[in-house]
Amino acid sequence: MRAGAILLCVALAGLHGSAQWLKYPTAGVPRLANGKPDLSAPAPRTPDGKPDLSGIWGWDDNRPCPPEGCPDQKIGQEFVNLGWSLKGGLPYQSWAAELVKARRAQNGKDDPQSHCLPRGALRMHTDALYKKFVQTPGLLLILSERNATYRQIFTDGRPLEPDPNPSWNGYSSGKWEGDTLVVQSNGFRDDSWLDSGGSPLTSAAKVIEKFRRPNFGTLQIEITVDDPKAYAAPWTVKLKQPVVVDTDLLDYICLENERDARHYVGK
Amino acid sequence: MKAAIAFTIFPLTIAAQWLNYPTAGIPRLADGRPNLSAPAPRTPDGKPDLSGLWKAPNGKYLFNLAADLKPGDVPFQPWAAELYKQRDGNLAKDRPSARCIPHGVPDAVAVAGYPFKIIQIPSEVVMLFEEMSHFRQIFTDGRALPSDPNPALLGYSVGHWDGDSLVVDTAGFSDVSWLDDPGHPHTEALHVTERFRRRDFGHLEIQITIDDPKAYTRPWSVTENFNFMPDTELLENICNENEKDFRHLVGR
Repeated sequence: MRAGAILLCVALAGLHGSAQWLKYPTAGVPRLANGKPDLSAPAPRTPDGKPDLSGIWGWDDNRPCPPEGCPDQKIGQEFVNLGWSLKGGLPYQSWAAELVKARRAQNGKDDPQSHCLPRGALRMHTDALYKKFVQTPGLLLILSERNATYRQIFTDGRPLEPDPNPSWNGYSSGKWEGDTLVVQSNGFRDDSWLDSGGSPLTSAAKVIEKFRRPNFGTLQIEITVDDPKAYAAPWTVKLKQPVVVDTDLLDYICLENERDARHYVGK
Repeated sequence: MKAAIAFTIFPLTIAAQWLNYPTAGIPRLADGRPNLSAPAPRTPDGKPDLSGLWKAPNGKYLFNLAADLKPGDVPFQPWAAELYKQRDGNLAKDRPSARCIPHGVPDAVAVAGYPFKIIQIPSEVVMLFEEMSHFRQIFTDGRALPSDPNPALLGYSVGHWDGDSLVVDTAGFSDVSWLDDPGHPHTEALHVTERFRRRDFGHLEIQITIDDPKAYTRPWSVTENFNFMPDTELLENICNENEKDFRHLVGR
């Protein structure tokens, strides 16, 4: 095993000579005989027997490239429209449907992300940048490569506060039901976006996320949003994301030498 | 015991966000207050556990990393002395954090009024900073520093244990950050060594050594102390939200 790890290091040494751990082997990855990660191996477990969600996660590569070719940074369908898989799309209240129309007509120029503001808890999942889960007793931590920010999901049994200060990430508390981590959140702001199409989320929202790791290589996140202010009915979408091994997050500070925002013109 | 504490605190938490929620695993005195002079906790492998919420007692080292050195004892290279004088004399109006670029290494821990959280797992130490809601990773899995990395605001950090001290080496910095708010400068040649030591349950010490031969003629050190913050949590802090200050910074 140890010899294998050393061999792997030697094999990779040529690649990461002048990089920044972008090719550094991840410890504890089940491997096939050819050294590739065994993505269908069982999910790892923590000492207390729960599935361990720790790892770097990507996004579902489910969006066809446009006719002019793939962009450098491929994005998933959910990046653009979180409700793309739902028949009829997200069940917007009429004002929310108007708002989404207006935001799209303006090319999303007021998207908080485009102004280096946070994506918020749910949109962190659908980013086309990596996120790293760090699971410890009492806390699931999510580190987002975008803007080097983070989200905390408490798993110490604390109840949600009745009326917390509105925030981008909301406040999250989770508990295990079998092999599923069920996370409840509240305390969101009225002005965050759920996708680049401008689907809104309001302070009335209650969110439930169900995290499952059915095997080593896959993270499933089922998201249910109950936000009667913006949506006519609660809705549920499912994300399926691939593990990313042998690399790490890069240092990305959005405001460093930021020169884009002044050029957004909309229409 | 725990139920009693939760009950006592309940009236305070209405309309809050876990700002008064009891932290698990804190040694307590008979009256329920945290016993801050109890021994530092340890991880299953016997190392001191640095995990917890920490806060600088004041802004002393943010306002001058060299506060404990005698005036004239900062071993500036001449150009660095000149640049420092210029930055400080201009009310530090070009300070990166004034444009909402996060404080980095070594100054993010020194920001008074904003706690930071340490989460220690076997392979790394994660630091979560309340100010500007950003994180830093320190790898303790035995990897070496990258030889010629892409320069980064926080650099690249690896740590190893030397007895009960976590020794953290950081290099690969971009020259964007300042070492403190008035603007002690550094170059991409900067190498920072931090020795983290949890003296007891309630007290963390970090000895910081600045080694940047392009900016300073020899390495220099400072020791900062931090207090444990029990029974509370980090708040979300987004610096560029409704930010209206920067345009008014005029310098001199």
